[in-house]
Amino acid sequence: MAGKQSLSFALEPRGVLSFDDYVVDCAWSPDGAQLALAGGEGKVGLVSVTDTLALCSIGEHLLGTLAIAWQPRAQCFATSGQDGAVALWDAAAAAQVRRWKPGVAATQALAWSPGGDMLAAAAGKVVSLWSASGEKLHAFAPADSTAVALAFDKPGTDIGVALNGEIAVHRVEKSRYETRRYKWPAPSLTVNFSGNGRFLASGMADGTLHFWNRSTGKDSQMRGYEGRVQLVGWSDNSRYLASSAGNDVVLWDFSGRGPEGTRPIVLSGHTDRIDSFHWQPGGEHFLTGGRDWRLSLWRPAKAKQPIDVQMVDAEISAVRWSQDGKRVAVGDKQGRLTVFDLVAR
Amino acid sequence: MSVTPSRVPVTVLTGFLGSGKTTLLNRILSEKHGKRIAVIENEFGEVGVDSELVIGAEEELFETNNGCICCTVRGDLIRILGQLMKRRDRFDYILIETTGMADPGPVAQTFFLDDELKNQFQLDAIVTMVDARHFEQHIDELNEPAEQVAFADLVLLNKTDLVDDAALARIESRIRGINGTARIHRTKNADVPIDQVLNVGAFDLNRALAVDEAFLEPEYPFEWGGVYQLGAGDHLLKTAGEHGHHSHDHEHHEHAHDHDHDHERGGHDGHAHEDLDLVLLPVASASGAALNDAIESAVRAFSEPATVVICHGALEEVPAHYAIELSHPGADFRLKITKPGAYALFCEHHPAEFGLHLHGVQPAAERRFASHHHEDDISSIGITDPRPLDPTKLNQWLDYLLKTRGQDIFRMKGVLNIVNEDRRQVFHGVHMMFDAQAERPWGQAQRVNRLVFIGRGLDRAELEAGFESAVAKP
Repeated sequence: MAGKQSLSFALEPRGVLSFDDYVVDCAWSPDGAQLALAGGEGKVGLVSVTDTLALCSIGEHLLGTLAIAWQPRAQCFATSGQDGAVALWDAAAAAQVRRWKPGVAATQALAWSPGGDMLAAAAGKVVSLWSASGEKLHAFAPADSTAVALAFDKPGTDIGVALNGEIAVHRVEKSRYETRRYKWPAPSLTVNFSGNGRFLASGMADGTLHFWNRSTGKDSQMRGYEGRVQLVGWSDNSRYLASSAGNDVVLWDFSGRGPEGTRPIVLSGHTDRIDSFHWQPGGEHFLTGGRDWRLSLWRPAKAKQPIDVQMVDAEISAVRWSQDGKRVAVGDKQGRLTVFDLVAR
Repeated sequence: MSVTPSRVPVTVLTGFLGSGKTTLLNRILSEKHGKRIAVIENEFGEVGVDSELVIGAEEELFETNNGCICCTVRGDLIRILGQLMKRRDRFDYILIETTGMADPGPVAQTFFLDDELKNQFQLDAIVTMVDARHFEQHIDELNEPAEQVAFADLVLLNKTDLVDDAALARIESRIRGINGTARIHRTKNADVPIDQVLNVGAFDLNRALAVDEAFLEPEYPFEWGGVYQLGAGDHLLKTAGEHGHHSHDHEHHEHAHDHDHDHERGGHDGHAHEDLDLVLLPVASASGAALNDAIESAVRAFSEPATVVICHGALEEVPAHYAIELSHPGADFRLKITKPGAYALFCEHHPAEFGLHLHGVQPAAERRFASHHHEDDISSIGITDPRPLDPTKLNQWLDYLLKTRGQDIFRMKGVLNIVNEDRRQVFHGVHMMFDAQAERPWGQAQRVNRLVFIGRGLDRAELEAGFESAVAKP
């Protein structure tokens, strides 16, 4: 039986620390040596990840941190909060570099361009673009509703904005700021460009998932969710679109003719709502974290069952792969951070 | 495995512009009640409290994906509520203020949208502030004030110091006509004990219909009854105000009648008449018990034709049904009593609306009766019936009702007696979205269905026929 036995992977705990704030989200540094944490009551923390974990509390957003994003190829990350502010942090110095308010409202979402030269911020109805050092580049005309999510496409030429009733896609290439609108009469909760550039997907508050063919503009609607579709994510190779509105993950397979008219793959195993999931960068593993305190590792192309399950001590609020796809950060609602390594067995 | 924390109560505060919502919010926030309260106010809100807990919202409406146009909810609220739940030092309470012109339906319906929201939040009550000074003007000109009253579990009748007692009684009567189940609280400068506004439990299925008992009584053709001990001779029955001024405070208060007069709405010709029907009966004693015993006779007397009595005229026969003409403030009538004793007086409207009183005599006992008089196209209808219901037929009826009338039915609540079911079935809804559950067993209590509908253009016969169709066949 020698030869073609495929490797199986599992998660191995590396360390745990107390952040002492609901972990809203976290972001890995490009080298995987640091992790930035955003807290629901407002804390901003920086963790050095070596053989042990060490936390440094470096600042806060009054009333809660809403978004966190690490600048690609840099030692810097950005946070935004209910206080309306955007802050840039120097991870090497563990200090704030700059802080400003892009608008009067809370700043709901942040996104770095793939090249790391531009930061987009959504404050209320206004999306604005900033340089890496915090200089204002552009502000788009106010939308009719609050912008709740932002994402650049892979080349960094377009930025998608999730709004109530539409996804606005602004062209940012060479200072052209044309806008294309993808309409659906419900609040859009997520904006997700496929890595291959062909599709734009969005989870909706009315319990539907939509994806548009970006070249034809054709809108496809997927139904049957338990409720609001708050989690949506493309696999790194753009084959699967994962979505969740409850205890299960619904995977749409975009290989061949695509998912229309097909039955999706359903990943079942959690006994309570999934609040965070993440596809492995550069790989085919998929992580889910739920209110059942369960962290599940999946390899959907091979199996509908999790290949590993780890229990943490509270409801999981954030799961994030490191950019090399070898480590996993898991934040929970009781304010703990646990880091796992992906190991072959 | 996961611990379900207790649900955070939510009060929806609605009311027309200038009704005092902001004053109430400021009072609640500045009072030392030990609660951590988060306020979600509309984008252009006026709350000036220096509180870190005030969050702006934007009335971002969307229709749920069930094909019903009245199932509109607030997307912005869902997002804000989600963010509030990311604090471990959780809020004890959430207050949502709507804009003056807003329909409270979408806000309330948001809490019925899905299990996620139902598990985290408990809609406590819809509180509607009413500006006593401008209510009568607004309700005749616009739809929103009546709708806001229709949705309410609690009406705060504010600025009561700016109007007289007759106007207050009139406004209260009108509010009761629209919403027969809401509690009404009179306030000055929005000054009301906080525990009367928060944790009311109006949507708590375990406490369902606790406040509705009075409304679910049978309807009577009168709103008030009182008993008096009267000596022989003439007694003066008088309305408030000075005779001779002829300023028509009450012209708008028109109503249909079996002996027809020209009721001119808002007429200013000095001849717009208004009648008040009343019944006078001898009773055994000047007591509450005797008043209750006289109800049936009063109902019968109201069904007889009325004798019209003009100003300064006499009410000479007892028992009898009269229609006294209240053509102007200070109108008076003589009540001729030949045999001293106890008498009951039943009035179509509450006498306070007109300042009507028997000169020099106080009632020994008095009682309000369920309001039946609907001036507005929005009203409340209650059904009380002991017969057990067939759950399948009940669902068919409610399904049909909500599909055809969901938009017009603002609130619906009930305790149901289901055949072969030991427990009370309780439900509570806003438009078409509702929550239902089996509640505590009937035990020794009398099994009876109690349903309340509050809505626009409700047809009692249609609702009763629908109910009839759901009765289980023996």
